[in-house]
Amino acid sequence: MDRFAQQAVTGLSIGSIYALLAVGYALIFSIFNFSNFAFGSSMMIGAYAAYYALKSPSIPTWAAIILSLLIGAASSAIIERVAYRPLRVRNSPKLFLMITAIGVNLLLVQSVVVVIGGEYRALPLPSRLGVISLGRVNIAINDLLAAAVSGVSLLALWTFLEKTRLGRAIRACSYDMSTASLMGIPVDLIAFLVFAISGFLAAVSGVFCAQKYAVSPYVGDISNKAFIASVLGGLGSLPGAVVGGLLLGFVETMISGFVSSLYRDLFSYSLLVIALVFFPQGMFGKDVRESL
Amino acid sequence: MRYLLGVASVAGISMLATMGMVILTGYTGLFSVGHAGFMAIGAYTSAILVMRFNVPFLLALVAGGLLATLCSLLIGHTSLRGRMRGDYFAIAMLGFGESIRLILANTKPVIGGAMGLPGIPQKTTFWHVLVIDIIALILVRNYVKSQWGRNSIAVREQEVAAMMMGVDVAKVKIWALAISAFFVGCSGGLWAFFMTYLQPAQFSQTRSSDLLASVVFGGMNSITGPAIASFFLAFVPELLREVAKWRLVAYGAVFVIIMIVRPQGLFGYKDIGFEHINKILGKLGLKRRRYADVSQ
Repeated sequence: MDRFAQQAVTGLSIGSIYALLAVGYALIFSIFNFSNFAFGSSMMIGAYAAYYALKSPSIPTWAAIILSLLIGAASSAIIERVAYRPLRVRNSPKLFLMITAIGVNLLLVQSVVVVIGGEYRALPLPSRLGVISLGRVNIAINDLLAAAVSGVSLLALWTFLEKTRLGRAIRACSYDMSTASLMGIPVDLIAFLVFAISGFLAAVSGVFCAQKYAVSPYVGDISNKAFIASVLGGLGSLPGAVVGGLLLGFVETMISGFVSSLYRDLFSYSLLVIALVFFPQGMFGKDVRESL
Repeated sequence: MRYLLGVASVAGISMLATMGMVILTGYTGLFSVGHAGFMAIGAYTSAILVMRFNVPFLLALVAGGLLATLCSLLIGHTSLRGRMRGDYFAIAMLGFGESIRLILANTKPVIGGAMGLPGIPQKTTFWHVLVIDIIALILVRNYVKSQWGRNSIAVREQEVAAMMMGVDVAKVKIWALAISAFFVGCSGGLWAFFMTYLQPAQFSQTRSSDLLASVVFGGMNSITGPAIASFFLAFVPELLREVAKWRLVAYGAVFVIIMIVRPQGLFGYKDIGFEHINKILGKLGLKRRRYADVSQ
C-alpha cells in the first residue's frame, strides 16, 4: 500500500508535467486543427536556454529560468510566423502543415545535434531539493514543485482564456476561425499569442524534464507523451488534456513500478493506437470523423 | 566499382520504399510518421525466415512485405473504416511505429532485443535491387494510371467530392496504406540482407522522415520525381562527406522551404515518360521521321 501511494505521488507529479505539455499541444490543435509535431523543439529550446542561462555567472537563477521560458515562447511564435503562417494564409491542406511541422522539428533538433552535440548534460540546478516525509510516503520537493508550477500555470491559462477579452477571442477562433476573422478578431495576433503560450508551456515542462533527466537534443521526444495524453483526453480539448496527462503519468508510473520500466513506453504507445482506433473522440473530445 | 554499386543499392532500396510512399502520401494524401515500423517488420521477418527456416531469399522478401501489409490492414481497417481524420491517422501511425520499435527492442529471444540481430547473410546485390525497382516502378505507374490511381487523386484533392462521385474513400485509403506497407516492408527486407545486421534503433522516427523526404522533394503528384529524388538523396551524402552530418538539418530546412515556396515538389505535376525522351531525341536531331516531309 505504501508502495502504491509512493508511486501514485510520483505519477501525479510526472502527470502534471504531461498535462502542461498536453495543454500546450491541445491549444494549437483546438484552434488550427493540425498536429504540431514541432512542439518538442520548443521544449528543447527552452531546456537549452535554461542550461546556458544558468551557467552564465552574471544572471541570477530566477532570471535565468524566466529568460529561458520567454525564449521558448519566442521560438514557438517565430516558428509560427516563419513556417506556418505562409501556409495558413494560403489555406493549404493539413498534409502540408504536418510536413512543415516535421521539417521544423528535424531542422531544429538536428541543428542542435550538429552544432552543440548530442551528449547529455546536467542542468546546473540542485537535482534534489530535499524530501518531505508524510508517514511512510516520501515526496521529493522537486516533484511537488513541478506539480505546483503546472497547477499554477494551468490555472493562469484557464483564467486568461475564460475571463479576458483576448481569451474569449481565442475561444471564438477555436470554434470557427473564418467566422471569427469575419467578426473582426485579428487572427494573426491570436495565432501569435496561441503559439507563444504553447511555447511557454513547452519550455516550462522542458526545463522540468531537463532537471529531472538531462539536457539533450532528445528532450523534446517527451512531447510524444503530450500527443498521447491529448488523445486520451480528446484531441483539442484542454480539460481533456489535463485529465489525460495526469492519467498517463499515473498509469505509466504504475507500470514501471509494478511491471517493468521496460514496458512503460510500449504501453503508452500501444495505448495511443488503441485509443485512437476505438475511442478517437477521447474523454472530452468532439466528433472527429471527417465531416461533410 | 563495388563501392559505387553499394551506394546504388542503398539508393535503389530507398527508392523501393519511396514508391510505397508515393502512393500513400503523394497520390492519396495520407501522412505517416510511422512507416519505419513497416520497414522493421519486413526486415526482421525476412531475416528470420532466411536465418532460422532456410526460406529462399526472394520468397522471404515477399513474406516480409506481406506481413507488413497484414499489419497495415489491421491498423488501416480499424482506423480508416471509421473515417478517421488525416491528422488523427498521422498520430496513430506515430504510435504504431514507436510500438513496433519498442516491441522489437524488448523481445530478447530470436531477434536479440535492443542489441539487435547480427550475422544476416549478405544476399542483396545491385541486380536484385535493380530488377525489383523496375518491377515496382511499372506496378506503381499502372496503379496511378488505373481507376484506383484516379480515385486516390480524387480523395486527396477533395474527399467529400470524391465521396459524392461514388468513390469508396475508406477503401481507397486502406489499399493505399496496404500497398505502401508492402513496398516499404520489401525494402526493409532488402535492406536487412544488404546491411547484414538489424537493430531496433535503425527504425526510429528519423527513418520515417527519411522515407517521406523523397516524396516531398520529388513532388506530390509524380512517380519519376520522387524516384530521382531518392537516388539523389542517397548519393549526395556519399559524394560530400564533409556535409553529410548536416543531412538531416538540410532535410528539415528543405521540407519547410518546399512547403512554403513550391508545395507541389520540385517536379510538380510532371512525370518523365517516353514522350519526353522522344522530345530530347528530336532536339538532338535523332527523332524518327514519322511523317513524310510534306514541305518537299
